[in-house]
Amino acid sequence: MQLNEPRPGTIRGALRAAACTLLAAGAATVPSNARAAAGDRWNLETATLIYGEKGGTTIFEPIFRVSRLYTNGQRLSAKLGFDTMTGASATGAMPSTRPQTYTTPSGNQQTTPAGKIPTRGFHDSRFSTDLAWEAPVGHLVKTNLGGHVSAETDYQSFGVNGTVSVELFQRLTTVSLGAGLNHDTVDPVGGTPQALGTGREDKGTHPKRVIDGMVGITRVLTRRWLVGLNVGATKEDGYLTEPYKVVSVVDPEDGEQVGTIAEKRPGKRERTSILSSSVYHFERDVLYLSHRYYHDSWGVRSQTIDGRYRLELNEGRYLQPHVRYYAQTAADFYTFGLHSGDDLPESASSDYRLGDMRSSTVGLKYGFPLASLPGEFSVRGEYIRQWGDQHPAGAVGAQRQLELYPTYNIGTLQLGYSVGF
Amino acid sequence: MPSRDLGLRARVESMAAGVGSPLVWLAALSLGTSGCAALKVEPWDRDLLAEEKMQFAPSAVENEIDQHIYFSKEASTGGSGVGGGGCGCN
Repeated sequence: MQLNEPRPGTIRGALRAAACTLLAAGAATVPSNARAAAGDRWNLETATLIYGEKGGTTIFEPIFRVSRLYTNGQRLSAKLGFDTMTGASATGAMPSTRPQTYTTPSGNQQTTPAGKIPTRGFHDSRFSTDLAWEAPVGHLVKTNLGGHVSAETDYQSFGVNGTVSVELFQRLTTVSLGAGLNHDTVDPVGGTPQALGTGREDKGTHPKRVIDGMVGITRVLTRRWLVGLNVGATKEDGYLTEPYKVVSVVDPEDGEQVGTIAEKRPGKRERTSILSSSVYHFERDVLYLSHRYYHDSWGVRSQTIDGRYRLELNEGRYLQPHVRYYAQTAADFYTFGLHSGDDLPESASSDYRLGDMRSSTVGLKYGFPLASLPGEFSVRGEYIRQWGDQHPAGAVGAQRQLELYPTYNIGTLQLGYSVGF
Repeated sequence: MPSRDLGLRARVESMAAGVGSPLVWLAALSLGTSGCAALKVEPWDRDLLAEEKMQFAPSAVENEIDQHIYFSKEASTGGSGVGGGGCGCN
């Protein structure tokens, strides 16, 4: 396009400038406002996820999001999602040189072959919905209020959130402040396990509260380049333990497992994250880059690097490769197993998601229109690999012969469709 | 029982304590030191910025799906905003 060089003093130049002003007013920071100027519009975006772990969990998840853009710049949007999850997840117990038998919370017995990481079979479904209302206040301020509800067999979540954004410096900079509050309840199937014990305490529900805060700055650097910086803080308290995870108790001499006890996590957690993002427009293609640094009061620190490149083809089609790399350190109370005879610690967990871990993702998305139908279709496939240290330095006896950390190979397929009308 | 991968922890902490993210510094430098006049982008030059794909997360549902997957498989979360549906998956 040649819109960057309107020649002053000509009618064509003046019209171009006026048209671009209308198109671009606040576009970098509040693109929805700019698009809404054409009149009330509806937008439907839907995607279906098929997720599969090799030997683990399978998820089928359709999501629908519909939004209405009003001529006054307001936008109302609603999301509906439904997940069906089935398969097996690691219990936290270490593998053994002998077959292991595990009793599920519902009373069934499962046997894990020697050398394999014990898993627990499960089946669950989750319903989630949210509602968001976005409204401009004057020309430079935008507010966003939202709420959500989600429910699954043993977990319910209710939350509200709000954000205020202000455009500054000729609308080249946007400063955002946001806050959110979640009130969740956990209701473990079969009752709540006794922390760091083997019994069950009760069948009551346990609260979990989450408070979020965020400060963000978005900045237009050039007509092709947009950058942003978000600093977020989250405070959680309540029941933060995973009720179905256990910790192995091992003989300190031969390293064989002598039993398992339920895990226990601290009742508070404070998280901080810093996300920096960049979007750069080449002649037609777009490069997306982001980096996140994260740490929390449990001792987890992580770095995430994410990159996508939208390669424009012809006739509205595009390819978008995606790469992501993630590395985290272990929580302070993460352990591959406790030694029998030692004093019990304050907290302990063998959930692999709290261990030293790396994860990499490669993916490709193909977006395309169909001549016979309005809107855009997309197909996206990704491969995720997660791994950790399978032979940690502290292993003793039989533990040295076993692979103590699970490796996950995950494939996802996502089918998407979006249309405006 | 010790279970640390000291090598990984050291590398991650070194990255964090040392230079952090190049993008963070790039953004901080641009935001902090640029007068608006120095990086002025005229309204009629914002045609590319107005395109729908010029957003940090152009597809809301795709972003939600990604957040949900990584939240359920990793210890870290957050960064992109506030709120969002709770999940018993982690």
